[in-house]
Amino acid sequence: MIKAYNPTWAHQEALRQAARRWQRRGQISQPQLQTINETYPLDFYRPVIYLRILLFLLVALGYFAATGILGLFIYSAGQDQSFGSNHEEIVFGITCLLASLGGHSLLLNIIRSSRTYRAGSDQALLYISLGLAAAAIFCFVETGRPSIGGDWLTLNSPYLPLLLLPVLGLLILASVSYADPLVAATAYLTGLALVANILLRFGSGRLLLPFAVMAAAAGLYYLVRRLGQRADYWYYRSCLLTLQALALATFYLGGNYLVVREANAALSGELISQQLPFALVFYLLTAVIPLVYLAYGLHRPNRVWLLTGLAALAFSGYTVRFYHSVLPPTLASALLGAFLVALMALALRYLRTPRHGLTAASDDEATERPGLNLEALIVAQTAHAPQAPEPGFQFGGGQSGGGGAEGQW
Amino acid sequence: MHVASFIAELRTRGLLTPEQASTIMADEQTRPFSLHYEIRTLLYVGITLLSGGLGFLLYDHIDRIGHGVVVATITLLMAACFAYAARHRRPFSWAQVPSSGLLPDYLLLLGCLLFLALEGYLQAQYTLFGTRYGLALILPAALFFYLAYRLDHRGVLSMGITALAAWAGLTVQPLSVFENQFLTGSVSRAAIGLGAALLLVGWLSETRHRKAHFAYTYVLLGGNLLLAASTAAMFEEVLRPAGVLVLLILGVSAGLFWYGRRTHAAIFLLLGAAYGYVAFTYGLFLLLSLVGNDVVFEPALCYFMASTAAAVWFLTHLKRLTSTAAHD
Repeated sequence: MIKAYNPTWAHQEALRQAARRWQRRGQISQPQLQTINETYPLDFYRPVIYLRILLFLLVALGYFAATGILGLFIYSAGQDQSFGSNHEEIVFGITCLLASLGGHSLLLNIIRSSRTYRAGSDQALLYISLGLAAAAIFCFVETGRPSIGGDWLTLNSPYLPLLLLPVLGLLILASVSYADPLVAATAYLTGLALVANILLRFGSGRLLLPFAVMAAAAGLYYLVRRLGQRADYWYYRSCLLTLQALALATFYLGGNYLVVREANAALSGELISQQLPFALVFYLLTAVIPLVYLAYGLHRPNRVWLLTGLAALAFSGYTVRFYHSVLPPTLASALLGAFLVALMALALRYLRTPRHGLTAASDDEATERPGLNLEALIVAQTAHAPQAPEPGFQFGGGQSGGGGAEGQW
Repeated sequence: MHVASFIAELRTRGLLTPEQASTIMADEQTRPFSLHYEIRTLLYVGITLLSGGLGFLLYDHIDRIGHGVVVATITLLMAACFAYAARHRRPFSWAQVPSSGLLPDYLLLLGCLLFLALEGYLQAQYTLFGTRYGLALILPAALFFYLAYRLDHRGVLSMGITALAAWAGLTVQPLSVFENQFLTGSVSRAAIGLGAALLLVGWLSETRHRKAHFAYTYVLLGGNLLLAASTAAMFEEVLRPAGVLVLLILGVSAGLFWYGRRTHAAIFLLLGAAYGYVAFTYGLFLLLSLVGNDVVFEPALCYFMASTAAAVWFLTHLKRLTSTAAHD
């Protein structure tokens, strides 16, 4: 069995969601929605988000405690035997391996018996068992490798693929089986690390690295588009969306001037970064890619492109300010804030009636805007007045603590 | 177009009429794309940057010519924000009043932020309120509470609660409650008292139907403050006896848990269970050490394994009541 969860769960969930949207938009009647819901019953267990967090924390704590007990047991059992100089590592590796296998079989068991589907508990078991498996692989590579002095966990070490390759294989298998977005994202980043490792072991590889990252991102995007046409799209939907966002993000970061320049400096061990060769190419990429993302995201329209474009635009602004202080930070922050508020006010006016397939109204035509409770918490967390710079002078201003809104750029 | 397969499937099962299928198909293709959350997020980022930038600008130019300009700008901007919000106000009601739009809501928030910046500055620079610091701190709280109730705004309400806590010398920001200096008994007592008062107000607004939708903010900020303060006091041993504290935390946690199930707000289940678990564990170890058993490592690990397993079992078997049928 390739898919760990029942594939019909994803299908039913998406179908019911679509039906609920049609009912809200008045295209089907309430009794019809009920018939659809009865035909496609939701027979998996997934509580609301906060309970999922709670289950995740509890299972993680219990899993670590169980691993600790297992480790103590193996340690005391193996005390009279000697595995040579690497005794500790072998004990640790065996513990991790056994705990990982145990966690994984428990995971399969609770999916079968409790029908959990991304309910927090199964995610905790999945992530931690994968992490323990990676730790076990690390321990075995550490004991098995020829003893050279120094650290082998650097990006250009020839021993790194011994760790990365099995981990990558494991992560890909887990992504295919569990369709978990975080696992898939980790698999992609592991793959990128492998590419970087291969390139950096050759002399001129460092110059090619940004372009290799961009090529890998483009390849991933193409792959995701292809996979999205498969019949089991709904099972892998969150995975594919995450990978899409990640492909766009790494494509941008691969061409970002700041990332390339500072990474170059870090890789060659310089303390102060130097101007890049082909700097103009990277200036252009830094400026143009976010705008392309935004334009495409608004034109298609596609939320992944839009949000990645916004984040990329913010990072481009940070890149500019990192090397040139155009305005004093406070003034820049105030002007940018005023610009954003004005722009959004205009957008609200302009999109009061939908235009170009865009609208400012919320998707679900509920009587109140959803998320207001959460928003109030964000306000409580972040909305504070800046304090007087020197608390000692005069009386200390005296608003509550924490200047939430530093203008970084 | 992945939804097309659903429409076809429902058609063949006879759950949709042909006309419905074609209307839905047409609507799916022409339905406008909602930028609602993007606009809201950017508006909030915008007002935070604007008020933060202007607020720091006040202190930047403290002895230069441009300084008066900044103060005047802030004052004018604040007045404009309040005026705009007031112009879009709706008649007052103790029930929930529908919002009059995104822009009035966020400009009201901006006005409040600018007010805080300006008031803090006037006090720091000109000692507007003299040495009556209490007055300087309670004034924003009073204004924000008034605005929150008059204009029905939950964000301003939480700013009012924050300001009230600042007057009591505390921080109620959800993620930084532990930054409070709980090391003294009096601060802990103040925090517990304020938390309990907020819980009470939340409970009353819900049961007396006085802006019942405000209860969530009151209960969350108050409950978190109370539980964090008593948990910190429990570990720091600044309040005695510890047994009473443990019982207090367990009681409030149970209350929050019950309230969360009643209102289907799972965040209270999370808070109640998390603080309750910590207090229960602490209380158990305390009891063991009183009896004379030193807590050793291995049984502790076994305890964590068994207790988390029990808690997970308990929570998943509550599912008929807490899961609210996944997301309906």
